Amino acid sequence: MHLWDSMPFLLIIFSVLCAFISPVFARWKREYSPYLAIFSVTVSFLNSCVLAYRVFCGGIIYYHVADWSPPWGIEIVIDELSAAMLLLLSGCCLLITFYSIRALPKEIPEHATGWYYTVLLLTLTSMMGMVITNDIFNFYVMVEVTQIGACGLVAVRGGKHSTEATLRYLMLASLGSGFILFGIGFLYQVTGNLNISYIAAELAAVRQQYPFLIWATMSFITVGLGVKAALFPLHIWLPDAYSSAPSPSSAILSGLVGKVYIVSMIRIYMLVFGFQVFHDTYMRYLIMLMAAAAILFGSFFAFVQLDLKRRLAYSSVAQVGYIFLGFSLGTTWGMKAAFLHIITHAFMKICLFLSAGAVYYQTERTKVIQFSGLGYQMPVTMAAFTVSAFSMVGIPLFGGFITKYGLAMGSLEAGNPYFIILIVISGLLNASYFFPIIWQSYFTSEHNTKLVMDRVPLSMLVPIVIMALGVIYMGLFPGGPLSFLERTVNRFLL
Amino acid sequence: MNAAIISTNYPYIVAIILFCLGCLCILTQHNLIKKVIGINIMQTGIFLFFIAVGNIKGGIAPIYDPSLPGDILYINPLPSGLMLTGIVVSFSVTAFALVTIVKLYHYYGTIYAPDIMRMR
Repeated sequence: MHLWDSMPFLLIIFSVLCAFISPVFARWKREYSPYLAIFSVTVSFLNSCVLAYRVFCGGIIYYHVADWSPPWGIEIVIDELSAAMLLLLSGCCLLITFYSIRALPKEIPEHATGWYYTVLLLTLTSMMGMVITNDIFNFYVMVEVTQIGACGLVAVRGGKHSTEATLRYLMLASLGSGFILFGIGFLYQVTGNLNISYIAAELAAVRQQYPFLIWATMSFITVGLGVKAALFPLHIWLPDAYSSAPSPSSAILSGLVGKVYIVSMIRIYMLVFGFQVFHDTYMRYLIMLMAAAAILFGSFFAFVQLDLKRRLAYSSVAQVGYIFLGFSLGTTWGMKAAFLHIITHAFMKICLFLSAGAVYYQTERTKVIQFSGLGYQMPVTMAAFTVSAFSMVGIPLFGGFITKYGLAMGSLEAGNPYFIILIVISGLLNASYFFPIIWQSYFTSEHNTKLVMDRVPLSMLVPIVIMALGVIYMGLFPGGPLSFLERTVNRFLL
Repeated sequence: MNAAIISTNYPYIVAIILFCLGCLCILTQHNLIKKVIGINIMQTGIFLFFIAVGNIKGGIAPIYDPSLPGDILYINPLPSGLMLTGIVVSFSVTAFALVTIVKLYHYYGTIYAPDIMRMR
């Protein structure tokens, strides 16, 4: 059946269409524009579910766009990692879109609503495209669309700070895409192909002849994707962009956009260059060093922030460091921990940013010193916040613990036990900046200790609670996701 | 590296120089418009690199003409085609950046980055 086969393509094209209908639709009926977005994201989510099921049962899906076979046309390949990412992206985006219905009118000007859903759908689509494409130039185009969409998500709020943050993000991200494109140019020059599988085959043959060129290509791609994924010294755009965006946007940016670049980076390293080159070029040690610095300094910087969203933003820098550390360790456990942390961190950070947005919605408080008594005024939100914060610290039974355990196992496997000390220190630092907020909200109430229900609409509470449940699920039953990802890890580390 | 290799491959060197100039421009210029110009210079360098990759010495434009002799060389059209996409991307990024700068000018009355930092 033709429609059944072309599902990966429909996944992309349908939400692009909806993205461009959205502003026109918003002119006609503004109050219904969120529901169009929800419809589109739901279709993407169901589509991803079916694709993931097909991958899980029948193996990797190959699809040739417009029936042009691989060396010439664009090929879409959905393997286990892509399927997991598709589910994560569309599922989280669905919850965030539900959250946006009521949260947005308080945070962005009214006339921008239609455009907000345009950039949201564009970002989601291009992220999904980036994960499933097997053509490296198509990948570059998707990177650019994601970048412009992500800048739009920041800019949509208007106002001085978010405009400035947008410009800084746009400048640095364009610098990054320039580097990526140059790296792709080198790859094309050496191999004469744009399809990732063909590049890998050619590169394996000519690898010995051009050691310098391959080294240059890897550094270009590392810098380019590192800027976009906010690897430590290249993260300077991140705090402003995350903290000045509206809360649903910060959740998408931190939980999903940053992760997709890391997944693409891992895919390019492992599928194009292969693990051996990654090991031999010492790129591994560079990333390890940067990740270690990110874990330490990200936590330190987060500790001194007074604005809640800025604190969460700097904490993202540290958490991105965990993912990079796991993947640069290059062992089975390290890779598994990296992939698991991509999922867990998406749940945690989306939950935290959405809770921050809910707190702003009810009380208009944004500073971390204003949380006293909130545990009684907003019990559900603060419970979810507490769950995610515990997971960030790495307390057992919560998702963050499993990744910390995996990273510790990975560093033992790699023969670098020093990283365990780093992980423990980082856990303590996380505790030092999350526990004061929780302590304040539950134990320092001066007058009002009567327990009341949150005055936040249900469409905002339910996504927060689902995310918190996700964090607990990842902590209690990590076996399912782990075994799903293990096949990918084994394929990468061949 | 000897002089002959450098002289035959001079487009690559020009491309690298343009790329570096553009990066320098983005990172060191204080005027925001000049930063955008830096992005454009950088991307022009990359476009030149791709076009140079696709070029063949003595080749002609890749349009099939039966009246030409059979052993004639055509240049590789794929990098040029890719760069059309690249130009569109570069155009949209530039447009977005310029719009943002106009908004910043409305808010702050200047496009000089240190002044904006001071006024925050």
